[in-house]
Amino acid sequence: MVSLISFLVRRILQGALIILLVSFGIFAVLRLVPGDPARLVLGPMASDQVVEVAAREMGLRDPIPVQYVHWLGAALHGDMGQSYIRAINGSQVTGSHDEFAQAGKAHVLDLIGGALPYTLQLAALALLFAAIIAIPLGIAGGMRSGQWPDKLVLYLGSAFVSIPNFWLSVVLALVVTAQFHLIPSIGYQGFSYTILPAFVIAIEMSPIFMRSLSSSVSGARQRSFVSLAEIRGLSRWRIFFGHILRNAAVPVLNLFGVQIGALLGGILIVEFIFNYPGLGLLTVQAVLQRDFPVIQGVAVLSAVLFVVINILVDLVSTWIDPRLDF
Amino acid sequence: MLKISRRSLLTAAAGGVVSTALSAPFIRRASAAGRSSLIYASAEALTGNWDPTSHTSLAQINFENFVFGQLFRTPMQPDNPSQIVWELATGQKLVDEYTMEYTLRDGVTFHNGAPFSAEDVKATFEYATSPGRPASALYPGQCEVEVVDRLTARVHTKKFGYPASAFQFTGALMAILSKDDVKDPKVLSQRPNGTGAFKFVKQEGNTSHLVAFDKYFRGKPKIEQVEFSYVSDATARILGLMSGDIDILQRLEPEQYATVKKNKALHAWEALSTENKYLHFRCNKPPFDNPLIRQAAAHAIDRSQILAVMDVAGAANNDYISKLKFGYEDVPGYPEYNPERCQQFLAKAGFPKGQGLPQIDYLTSTGFYPKTKEYGEVITSLMNEQGFNVKLNVMDTAAWGGRLYQTADKVAEGHMIDCGWMSGSPEPDIVLRAMFYSKAGPGGGLINGIKDKDIDAALDAERAEGDSAKRKVLVGKATEVIASKLPSLSLFTSVNLNACRAGLTDFSIYPNGPMDVSRAYYKDV
Repeated sequence: MVSLISFLVRRILQGALIILLVSFGIFAVLRLVPGDPARLVLGPMASDQVVEVAAREMGLRDPIPVQYVHWLGAALHGDMGQSYIRAINGSQVTGSHDEFAQAGKAHVLDLIGGALPYTLQLAALALLFAAIIAIPLGIAGGMRSGQWPDKLVLYLGSAFVSIPNFWLSVVLALVVTAQFHLIPSIGYQGFSYTILPAFVIAIEMSPIFMRSLSSSVSGARQRSFVSLAEIRGLSRWRIFFGHILRNAAVPVLNLFGVQIGALLGGILIVEFIFNYPGLGLLTVQAVLQRDFPVIQGVAVLSAVLFVVINILVDLVSTWIDPRLDF
Repeated sequence: MLKISRRSLLTAAAGGVVSTALSAPFIRRASAAGRSSLIYASAEALTGNWDPTSHTSLAQINFENFVFGQLFRTPMQPDNPSQIVWELATGQKLVDEYTMEYTLRDGVTFHNGAPFSAEDVKATFEYATSPGRPASALYPGQCEVEVVDRLTARVHTKKFGYPASAFQFTGALMAILSKDDVKDPKVLSQRPNGTGAFKFVKQEGNTSHLVAFDKYFRGKPKIEQVEFSYVSDATARILGLMSGDIDILQRLEPEQYATVKKNKALHAWEALSTENKYLHFRCNKPPFDNPLIRQAAAHAIDRSQILAVMDVAGAANNDYISKLKFGYEDVPGYPEYNPERCQQFLAKAGFPKGQGLPQIDYLTSTGFYPKTKEYGEVITSLMNEQGFNVKLNVMDTAAWGGRLYQTADKVAEGHMIDCGWMSGSPEPDIVLRAMFYSKAGPGGGLINGIKDKDIDAALDAERAEGDSAKRKVLVGKATEVIASKLPSLSLFTSVNLNACRAGLTDFSIYPNGPMDVSRAYYKDV
């Protein structure tokens, strides 16, 4: 128990440091790129004088570390700032320079809170599809190492990994949605709009799980405790679930932790192409419109998710395999 | 050991297919028949402010056309660009040089139930044309309105020094507001309240929801609901149209247009727009502060090559205004591709074969107008062939927009920048004065920064002329003066490429984008 608490404290501190470094890095880079946020808020025709006054009011003329400390203090109190381009009702806005338009800008956390459930739904379904594809094939490949299931995993994995997600997105939307009207996918009017985007992400993620599982299962089968289990007279199912699969699961789980970054990257592109109203679409539109507070908020959230999921993966791995030390 | 045979794998796969097929009825079909709603996908976001005087955004103007009424409309058809279709007004007449009188329609109500009258016209005109309003640039100038009786209003312009005839067409640009809303601009900004065919219900994310207005003066529309959605990606918009998730689209890319044309479930068409695309020279800094260098650049550019790149999305034009504008005519001596003359101008300016010229930064955008990057490369290549040293900088729309206009405090970035100017009226001054009048913006012309007395005098002369026939001649003379000074080169007129569901009937789209679906319905195809 002591070691568990010590592990958690250590990992949370490490995670906090990572989040701080990531947030500062993104904060600094966003302020160094060309484009004055005050100019973006006030519009191209506002005079430099007005822009300068607004910039000072927004704290944009302070040194970057000072600005970061202010931002961090507010963020720790749950205020990640206001979007430059999105109104409180969630609509993306542009081209109006009226005081009322500026007063009605949405809070970053509200925008993220509105988009996150859609992305979580998409990510969960994508992982489910990836599991449906990767687990049976990966196990089959590992159990029949060197035979046709193993080769199938190899060829299928190579094919899947070679398909660019943006290409597959457009092709599926064109054929499945636009041509044959089988599954809707452009925008979001219900759960069915999640299926195709999730399938694209699953195709992108499954090869690495498939190959990893296949080699882990194959490796576990060669271990002496499996041969001894057969001699001990254990049933095939018990050997498979209790010994082979349990030992093969740990590396796959660790891989899952690392793959979260790839999952988030895939979501960005796929949501934009399918006009799916999650964090990915929010982020791409924020980047295109230089909506720095939103970009910053999403980046920090991604770092937090990455850290938390990896801590959970470590905990689950240790639970599965008690030989692993905290 | 667990046996996995080829047969068991195939059995499992077949099972998966069957279970997917069984679940298909539970998945909403992408295409629904018997629609009474219309989903419009906008390529541009709304402004977040429902006050029509707070912006000059095309997307917002398109939205307002569903909700707000206007005194009259100008369909701007190529065979009759000056046509007027009466809406909240039933007629207009010039009482004297500085007074325009409008007679108004009786029995019209706003969405909040308030009756429409001359008081609303007075409140709207005086508010919309006041210099502090961002959209005041669309109108000829400030005005005062006299309420003669409940259904008669007179617009007076004498105090502000321009003729009332300037409202002959620009009255069609004004979304008529309720006088009570104008009293409190904060209310105005928070919800749209017009006399149009559709009433605003709510905003959900990037979608504005509208419903048919029961008391619309021409009768309740057959389309019961309209969803006005911002969809940022062009591919998503076209896929949405093909799948049935979107009913109508504008501004297709030429390649998309060709695809949609072949699809029998869709209807696609081309329509000349009021938008000319310009290559603006920054006239307030070297080298384009020298008119000879502007002439040299204009004669280096082969516009027929640009039109080849634009394909169906561009139409040839030798004037600074579209053919749909009042006063259009081919400008005599409009610059044509002529390398020899280009070299003569360069030599005369003291830069033979371009030697000694600084690097010229050419800013263009990608993702908003069709083919800007492609024809930007053509222009760059043609100018460099003549000895210029042009560097093309292709930016995303936000970065380009941030550099577009001249400001009071500093000279705008880049030496050349391209941009279109769409307007919802045949009135040529909306374009000409914004682009070329020295007082249009803090730095002169809004984008090119031109300050030229001859151009100002020519534009003032045509605006002051009350007689239509005489004014037409003066508009032609003004564009000739502009062409001789060349602060910008008009490259072509944009052609709008539109598409909708094949059954959508009895609707119209104005050349600047807004549509009238007040009588539209879906028929079987």
